[in-house]
Amino acid sequence: MTYRTHALKALTAVGALVLMAGCGSGGSSTGGTGGTGGSAGAPVHGGNLVIARTADSQSMNATTVFDNESIWIFEQIMQPLYTVTPNGKGVMPWLATSYTVSPDKKTYTFTLRKGVKFSNGKPMTSADVKFSIDQNTKASKGWGFINTAIKSVSAPTPDTVAVHLKYPWAPLLADLSLFANGIVPANYGGETENQFYTHPVGTGPFKWGYWHKGSALKLVRNPLYWQHGKPYLNSVTWTDVPNDNTRELQLKGGQAQIDEFPAWSTVASLKSTQGVTMNLFNSTQTNYLAFNELRKPFQDVHVRRAISLAINRKALVKAVLFGNGKPANSLFPPQVPFYQQSTPGLQYNLAAAKQEMAKSSVPHGFSTVMLIPAGNSDYLTIATIVQSELKPLGINVKIQQLDVNVANTDEQSLKYDMTLTLWTMDIADPDELATFAVDPKSGAKSFFTAYNNPQVVKDTHAAQRTLSTTQRQSLYNFVQSQSARDAFMAYLYYSPYPYATSANVHGFFVTPLGNYHMENVWLSK
Amino acid sequence: MSFVGRRLLQLVPVAVGVTIVVFFMIHLIPGDPARTILQQHATPRAIAELHREWGLDRPLISQYWLFLNRLAHGNLGQSLIYGVSAASLIWQRLPATLWLIIYASVLAVLISVPLAMIAATRKDGIRDHVVRAVPLLGLGMPPFWVGFLLIYGFGITFRVFPVGGYGTGLTGHLDAMFLPALTVAIALAPVVIRSLRASMLSVLGADYITTARSKGVPARRLFFRHVLRNAVIPAITVLGINIGFLIGGTVIIENVFAIPGIGQLMINSIFQRDFPVVQGVTLVFAVLVVLVNLLADMTYASLDPRVSFDR
Repeated sequence: MTYRTHALKALTAVGALVLMAGCGSGGSSTGGTGGTGGSAGAPVHGGNLVIARTADSQSMNATTVFDNESIWIFEQIMQPLYTVTPNGKGVMPWLATSYTVSPDKKTYTFTLRKGVKFSNGKPMTSADVKFSIDQNTKASKGWGFINTAIKSVSAPTPDTVAVHLKYPWAPLLADLSLFANGIVPANYGGETENQFYTHPVGTGPFKWGYWHKGSALKLVRNPLYWQHGKPYLNSVTWTDVPNDNTRELQLKGGQAQIDEFPAWSTVASLKSTQGVTMNLFNSTQTNYLAFNELRKPFQDVHVRRAISLAINRKALVKAVLFGNGKPANSLFPPQVPFYQQSTPGLQYNLAAAKQEMAKSSVPHGFSTVMLIPAGNSDYLTIATIVQSELKPLGINVKIQQLDVNVANTDEQSLKYDMTLTLWTMDIADPDELATFAVDPKSGAKSFFTAYNNPQVVKDTHAAQRTLSTTQRQSLYNFVQSQSARDAFMAYLYYSPYPYATSANVHGFFVTPLGNYHMENVWLSK
Repeated sequence: MSFVGRRLLQLVPVAVGVTIVVFFMIHLIPGDPARTILQQHATPRAIAELHREWGLDRPLISQYWLFLNRLAHGNLGQSLIYGVSAASLIWQRLPATLWLIIYASVLAVLISVPLAMIAATRKDGIRDHVVRAVPLLGLGMPPFWVGFLLIYGFGITFRVFPVGGYGTGLTGHLDAMFLPALTVAIALAPVVIRSLRASMLSVLGADYITTARSKGVPARRLFFRHVLRNAVIPAITVLGINIGFLIGGTVIIENVFAIPGIGQLMINSIFQRDFPVVQGVTLVFAVLVVLVNLLADMTYASLDPRVSFDR
């Protein structure tokens, strides 16, 4: 492009300024919903796909990082032995093809997939697998807790890996499918851990391109990928576009092909925008209202139940998600194994709420504070609705908005009365959520509520070591039912993952755990 | 010592003052970078481990001394979130912000000078009224809204400019940064136009202009050599002050146009409590503001022989 072209464009722009006020919205006619794909024919190779995302990544160190914007990227590079199934309820072979279990259920021996190479050309062996899992187990301020049941890992042959457990452990396959157990070259290929994760190497469909922090992160096609013919794209670039409107405009302007998390208020209009597919993928995201049981009167189950019964979830779904979600009835979302549809999570019933208040230690009401992070319009909407819904019970709620970091600190230090929180599953097993949510001795002090029901805690731990699916279902049914009756949190709603994509994007699918497989994605001409 | 040398020396206490205020302010407000990293998995043990690793378990005064010591060696410290040097993050992002400020200033001048000339030479005429009234719209409209309007028009409807980003290479930057720079220029131009028009009118009524006219100096030469040169001096001061404000205020434009600039870095780092980056960015902002004001003074002196550096 020449300077003259730029000058002409600049002149055109300045000259047309006056016309701007008259520019209305136009050009939208049809669109669609559901996953990307449709009848576009056979996949074609090539193309550079741009995903406009809400925030930058923090780190590529899979064993220590917790933010999704990092996880979803390095999952394209480093892969685990098993991966989550598309419905989010199970796992399927990935870098391993099968496994056997010892009679005492304490040793799992995995057969590795043949012909898998790292993007640097070196074959993946059992030594790499052992090293990778060991590194994650050691990550004391990272995901090491997920490998808590692992005693040791051995590599009896180059093609087999044995995982020795301290005790039988039901969620093992789900735990091993976590990104933090992704396979990297043994000894980081001769580099230090820090050096390695500045340009990680893995067996995944893409390899490292560049990362301009705060701007863009690019991965390029791994020609040695073990699924022959994949990936279809030459590269994927994640650009950091924190403004919702700008992401949408970049999608419409063709500068990005995927808009990560468009604002809920725009979902309806995006559905009818020509050239755009609005996807609402099933998710495991659940929003809750948490009560701090260290503060009065939230130790009183009748108070918690009254509040939970007074919240109109359908109104919340309509106001916050513009109808794109469902009221929650359980601690677990429907896309989690052992979810119980009949869990009696308390639903809107003002008369019943008043009865519970009458039985409580504060029958005439009380004043309290709801803590929310500043700048989160969805949370402010929820808080405002809950505030008005609790008035008939005589509960006077003051909404306190604090800086995100301060709000998180106060929540985790249990310096709050009520607060809004959420959860998204990391593994295809309820164990991580259940332990986090109901065990006061876990690092999270029962989801930072101090809730403590010994029988619920006992059954949660029993479900970890029971390999029978039937028994686990029974145990988790009790955990869900009892915690709902205890109303330690008000379950608000389940929401999908919204992604708007250009109509020429195919094969883009987000699992209920939030991760996606970019090797299946292709761009039609 | 020369004027420039003295002004540069004054930068040192300004910078030290900024480091003291920012360091203690950011450390004393509640919030913890360890919680940004660990999110819901922030156990006391993990938090303590990170604090030890980052040196946040030391007394505050000792941390400040370490910061000054590093600063003296040109080291701004490591970003707590990214784990890379704060200076590298800042240097990576600074060009985008400088591009925005310089490009916007150039556009503001290109818009303001001709319009002010039109207004001043047709005082109280229709053109004068139009020039005085229309640009005020730019001052009254919020920049984020002007930005979206421009994106919608030129990025979506006409598709002549990219919808945000910084671009690559000189032409890429010129292309990608045009709309954001124009957004800033639209807000900047009305102030400059008003100032320039007023000083042009004042100069046009001066005796030496009447003398020049009576000597038969051609109108074009009279305007550019005598009127504009003298009238532009107050406008430079106005522009300099506004650019100073702009340095700290680019964050909205960077957000709307997804420009990976230093303003966006500053905001993110504050939210994440990435102390070394916040300290580094603030220092850079302070230095830039001082340098812009120095540049304005130097331009002022070079245009007006009555102004001397030594007085």
